[in-house]
Amino acid sequence: MDNELTLTRRGFVKAGGALFVGAAVFPSLAVGAAGVEGHPSTMDATKLASWLELHDDGRIVVRTGKTETGTSASAFYAQAVAEELDVDPAVITMVMGSTDDTPDGGLSAGFLGGAANLKKVAAMTRVALLGLASTKLGVPVDTLTVTKGVVSGGGKSVRYTELVKGQQLDLAIPVTGDFPKINPKDGIGLSGLLGLRVTSNPTLKPLKDYAVIGQSFARPGIREIVTAKAQYSGDVSLPGMLHARMVRPATLGSTLVAAGALDHAKFPTAEVVTKGNLVAVVSPNEWEAVQAAQAVAAATTWTPWSGLPGSDKVTAALRAATWTPAEKRGDAAKIDAALAGAAQVISATYEQPYVRHAPMGAFVALADAKADGSVTLYSQTSQAQGARANIAHTLGIPFEKVTIKWAQGPGQYGRTTYGGDGAMADAAILSTLLKKPVRVQWTMPEDLAWSSASPAWYADVKVGLDATGHMVGLKSEWYQPHENDARMLGALLAGLPTLPTGPVSGFGALHSVWVYEQSPAFEAAYVTDNLAGNAVSGGLRGNIMRTPQQRQQNYAVEGIITEAAAAAKADPVEFRIRHTTNDVFINLMKATAAKHGWTPRPSPNPKASRTGTTPVTGRGVGVVMRSGGWWVAMADVEVTPGTGVVKVTAMTVGVDVGKVMNPRHLTSMMQGGAVMGVGEALFEEVTFDTGKVTSTDWTKYRIPRMGDIPEIKTIFTSRDDRGINGGGEAANASAPVAIMAAFFDATGVMPRRIPLAPQYVKSILNA
Amino acid sequence: MPSYALTINGAPRTVTAAADTPLIYVLRNDLKLTGTRLGCGLSQCGSCAVLADGKEIRSCSTPVSRLVGKKIHTVEGLPGLWAGKKGIPETADTLHPIQTAWIEEQVPQCGYCQSGMMMAAADLLGRNPNPTLAQVKDAFTNTPPSPHLCRCGTYNGIAAAVLKAAKLMRA
Ligand code: FES
Ligand code: FES
Repeated sequence: MDNELTLTRRGFVKAGGALFVGAAVFPSLAVGAAGVEGHPSTMDATKLASWLELHDDGRIVVRTGKTETGTSASAFYAQAVAEELDVDPAVITMVMGSTDDTPDGGLSAGFLGGAANLKKVAAMTRVALLGLASTKLGVPVDTLTVTKGVVSGGGKSVRYTELVKGQQLDLAIPVTGDFPKINPKDGIGLSGLLGLRVTSNPTLKPLKDYAVIGQSFARPGIREIVTAKAQYSGDVSLPGMLHARMVRPATLGSTLVAAGALDHAKFPTAEVVTKGNLVAVVSPNEWEAVQAAQAVAAATTWTPWSGLPGSDKVTAALRAATWTPAEKRGDAAKIDAALAGAAQVISATYEQPYVRHAPMGAFVALADAKADGSVTLYSQTSQAQGARANIAHTLGIPFEKVTIKWAQGPGQYGRTTYGGDGAMADAAILSTLLKKPVRVQWTMPEDLAWSSASPAWYADVKVGLDATGHMVGLKSEWYQPHENDARMLGALLAGLPTLPTGPVSGFGALHSVWVYEQSPAFEAAYVTDNLAGNAVSGGLRGNIMRTPQQRQQNYAVEGIITEAAAAAKADPVEFRIRHTTNDVFINLMKATAAKHGWTPRPSPNPKASRTGTTPVTGRGVGVVMRSGGWWVAMADVEVTPGTGVVKVTAMTVGVDVGKVMNPRHLTSMMQGGAVMGVGEALFEEVTFDTGKVTSTDWTKYRIPRMGDIPEIKTIFTSRDDRGINGGGEAANASAPVAIMAAFFDATGVMPRRIPLAPQYVKSILNA
Repeated sequence: MPSYALTINGAPRTVTAAADTPLIYVLRNDLKLTGTRLGCGLSQCGSCAVLADGKEIRSCSTPVSRLVGKKIHTVEGLPGLWAGKKGIPETADTLHPIQTAWIEEQVPQCGYCQSGMMMAAADLLGRNPNPTLAQVKDAFTNTPPSPHLCRCGTYNGIAAAVLKAAKLMRA
């Protein structure tokens, strides 16, 4: 039986309940040895207390190796546990992310897996507590009910807290899972990133009985953020800590000739540290480190290098690359035959330059290397266990010698999902060399130049229509440098071991979901190495970014479907609906259209114009399906052909994710995703010359501002019949398509490249 | 290094720092007021915003030596600012209406930009107690030295919270 129940005197949590109240982000616990075979976690995940603790004061501490990245996962997890336990979610404190304070949680992307673990643990705990209550009250278990942590039956009641007062509830939690380890056969170079899985199958509450999930529960951490009590990763300081600023190479391929000398009269406490091509300036005084680093950077010499094509030639450079077939879906021969017999075929190449995550705070990490060879790192990484394996590999020390302490940071949007992080290797290497705690704060220009990015891509797409305007087949071949590079820059520059990352065949590269089942499709994805991948820095390192691959692949597919609808002289909403029989999708399209005030007619707009200084208007639609969630975006734009300026004037996002866990936070994610979509559609492009990235501040890497964003209307209905689905952030994949389509509607010209920056807009309107 | 007598969140604080040290390093490292967040360091994002005599300044680019004699307020000082204005005692639970609105609207996602956003709201509502939505958007987009940026895209939430805070403050 799963629930082997014992009660012991509480000894696990040394400081008792008070430890977890308030803003303590880095609770340090004395915990016993590993319990999962082969899993050298400091947390014994087979013990209930590693997951969930009931405190005498009624508070419940829940632990997960997953992290809060701004998507309100902490609220959803608390709700999931509260639901199964029948308690108020407000009594739950989440402890997240750290390697020694939580069970291994795996990828940030696996939100549902994390929720499934916690639900099972909570359900097992509930069964155990009901057993205790039954004994205490002398009432059969099956007659007991629980409301807000109070068990009632036979006219009597008892609180959960009274059942375990002064004692610890011990349950054996059956878990399985690999821990992260270096694996050259894996696309990332690390396997075991999924974290632990609870293998018991307790009876879970049916969806129809949910009372907590589905409510707009306020995320507890929000009050702490607003009152400045929240601790961010960059806020941690340790006694004797040095502040570091990095001096980066002149280009992506430069090697160090000589580090600049430091003027000690001017910078008395600063020091230059080098290892290979890694150059840093440290000082106990942060401002002195900043200024000394600038002075040293100006005097440091590097070898010349010019191995990049220049961002204006990126698609041509990609065309010339050697590609590895990564994944395909559908019957290519069948589609070729269908296209050959089509009344009309549209062929196009869609493309997008490099874009990046671009959080509001640059990478920061604090490392504390000890004489015994252990290293503790403080970081906002969303993959603590992966980062731990990564750092251990670089430093050549055992996995168990690395501890990662997590605290929230600026949104990562996927960039730390695979356990790579910008500043962690820098900090770990410097702290090891200097034998002192070192806090490395990247500058924003450094982050915008040197962090990994979402690579440029192009897709060759074809669609065939028969004489009635029905799609007879679609073919999409998508090419992108791989986006699995979790190598850390500091390790690369220092010449220390890094993950064996590279383009790998078969490593999931095709994420788009074909939603128009009334028409056949063939989709293929090809990968290649990073652009300038042989440079000492690893070149332009590719990494996943919010709604990865689907976002890009979907743009090409939905783009050409917009073109096909126009060729068929059909309304783009109606055209999509007629190629599917999926009720969920059709109902969502109709509901979103009604909310947006969509008037059916074919595109382009009869008033479309590609010239003049009078703004022209248009509206468009885009669809994406991700992790069981359907997303529709509709956008209105205003284009001034003479200036090339595009403005989004209205937007509606519709979603069907089945059961909605938290309407308010889903709304926030829908709106936030749509804002990122506006950025990709209108502004965002990583530019580079032949040596280095040049879009290194917020005027050069332009992201949306408040004035760029209209009111974003949202529509969703919660339903029990589809369960709970993931992918709560895919609005960023449907919004750009809707904006492109709206531009086409307004001007009659389909943009096959984003962003719609004024110069590019003028060039396509004048073509 | 010289010493500077500052007034921070209503209290006198003396700090020793090089004259050109940007205020943010003094706040975060010397005074342990870590609610003010370093973003771009270039006056381009607003995440480091604080108030000097009620007006927003960017602490990443304002030298500490220029702030002597000014009343500095950081996000930690918002409750005190409100209590002082209303002549009510400040307790551990006191919130500035801007904070109340931000919590009620559940504005933050990652939250990194939000200290600066709330300071910009305080600046705006100090100048204009009853702004329209268009004025809010204009203030957060076009007030020098730069727009206030939020990468998580919480702009709709911020605008709603500013309008709500304005109402709470007028009540
Ligand atoms: S950090 Fe000061 S404006 Fe960006
Ligand atoms: S809430 Fe994340 S940057 Fe604004």
